[in-house]
Amino acid sequence: MAKKNVADEHQIVPKGTLKQLSVDEVIPSRNNPRLLFDPEPLRLLKQSIREKGVLVPLTVYPLKGQDKFGILDGERRYRCCALLKEEGLSLKIPANVVDPPTRVAGLLYMFSIHNYRQQWELMPTALSLETIIKDLGENDTKKLEKLTGLSEPQIERCKKLLLFPKHFQNLSLDPDPKTRVPSNFWIEALPVLDLVELALPDLYGQLTRDGLTQKLIDKYRAGKIKSVIHFRKVVEAYNLAEDHSRPTVIARIRSYILDPDLETRTAFDEFVVDARRIQDAIEVSRQYLSNIRKLKLQFAADYKDDLVDALSEIRDYLDFVLDKLKGVEPPPETSKEEEASARG
Amino acid sequence: MLAAKLACYLFAKLKFHDYAPQPVTYKTVAAWLDQFGEETQKQLLTLLRHVKYVSDHETRKDLSCLNRALLKDLKERGIEPKNVIYVQIDEAGSSSHVVLNMLRNDDRLQALGCTLLDSRDGIGLLEASYRLEEGAIIYVDDFLGTGNQFCKSRDIVAQQILGRWVEFIVAPYICEEAIEKLEKRSIEHRAMAVHTKTERFLHPDSEQCPRDLKLKLLRVCRRVDRRYSLGYHNLGSMIVYSRNCPNTVPAVLRGNKGQDPFVGLIPRTSDLPPIPE
Repeated sequence: MAKKNVADEHQIVPKGTLKQLSVDEVIPSRNNPRLLFDPEPLRLLKQSIREKGVLVPLTVYPLKGQDKFGILDGERRYRCCALLKEEGLSLKIPANVVDPPTRVAGLLYMFSIHNYRQQWELMPTALSLETIIKDLGENDTKKLEKLTGLSEPQIERCKKLLLFPKHFQNLSLDPDPKTRVPSNFWIEALPVLDLVELALPDLYGQLTRDGLTQKLIDKYRAGKIKSVIHFRKVVEAYNLAEDHSRPTVIARIRSYILDPDLETRTAFDEFVVDARRIQDAIEVSRQYLSNIRKLKLQFAADYKDDLVDALSEIRDYLDFVLDKLKGVEPPPETSKEEEASARG
Repeated sequence: MLAAKLACYLFAKLKFHDYAPQPVTYKTVAAWLDQFGEETQKQLLTLLRHVKYVSDHETRKDLSCLNRALLKDLKERGIEPKNVIYVQIDEAGSSSHVVLNMLRNDDRLQALGCTLLDSRDGIGLLEASYRLEEGAIIYVDDFLGTGNQFCKSRDIVAQQILGRWVEFIVAPYICEEAIEKLEKRSIEHRAMAVHTKTERFLHPDSEQCPRDLKLKLLRVCRRVDRRYSLGYHNLGSMIVYSRNCPNTVPAVLRGNKGQDPFVGLIPRTSDLPPIPE
């Protein structure tokens, strides 16, 4: 007999009794509908249901405690019927009533709902994924992708969130958006924590990873991390630093961690912006040289004067920059009158 | 004038005898009344007569009564107390945590095997709901006004509920405005009464107050708060708890934030100025 895979085992097979339910007898998904579905397809579906009714039955299961049914399949059809009811059109919804799903099947359904939503707050998804991983003993990203319908990058991001202790994860589940820590905070903070472990082992040992994380949270809440993507500047500053400047960057990372008032950009822009500018300049110089060589200008015959002027301008500018970089003082400026008298 | 003030004081003292945020004394009543003319003072006394004051004792009794009835219903429908999760909603200004503590002690919820959780404990909720697989989530509070804040918090909390769960809200009084929002979410409400618009003395839909008097009192409320003269979202609710006053009552009862420029007779805790050093 062929072995069933995990996904098949937990599939919901709609074979139950067909019932005609009113909107009030169905409990919608607990996720915010405004964020779940695109309005335009929903509008078209609503229009079709208004004209023809619900053609494909929902799949529902009975719930204990209320005389209502939970939805396993057909959330959008249900939403349309609920909207039509608000507009004064009460419809009966055909529904296949099946046995309540197993825990895992219910979770997998929830993932299918989550996938509708683009701006989903990732932490609840990550925690549900953790439950799947534990229950099914499956940690392979590819298999989890198939099982849950989440994309590979989504799963990887979820796994990063799961590296943090529960009390930190809880901060992303805070019902109050003002105090909630966005899930991206953890994803962006992770490389910083790893960097501190690598570059400042003494500080890492002294504060511990949790202590360091707490310091970053405090900084974030104090408004000293304007955007969580600014964490990238910390790692970038370290990676771009040459051997001689690396101790300065490391010292700055230490100050950044220990001083709650030191803002991310203030701390690292000087390393990142400068370093990036120089990298860009080297790249542009190489490209320019390669391009200008290809033009074989030494064989130019016409418009020579214009070419000489253009190249001289470049040479003057480069001489000026090179003198500056080598620390050569520019010649003292003389006025035209002084030049004339000198010649005279 | 003194007689009117005294009458108002006696009435207020009797009615709000144990109002916790700021005790009702002759001084506070006088300070409140002195902001208005003689005629308005009499009208304010009429307004006070229509306030429903609920003591802590009454709140406890009501909550317990509602809760026990709900647990009984749930048991009959196959949900044992061990499959019940109580959640306190931590919205700004909510009494949910206080109320759940009351209920926990009065109804010995933990001894029954129920789980009690804070809405901020998302992981706890996720783990408990997944472990128990099915049952009832019960939110507890003493009052629901518009229901906006509650629903906003609940919608976040609900993302952490895994499995087959039905939801209930237990609150002694719920304003009419919240009911539709609860129904949309299939949250069944258990209340002593739904506080309808028609029974709110100054609400436009109410005919309890004579038209002239209503206009005059509305003008007074507008002087205190131009935007929310009848309280948050102009609900004009008339239920006041001894523990604290909801923010949906007419503005003249609460006064302004920091009690400046207008002082109230029954300000909310958050309306009071800091204690002077």
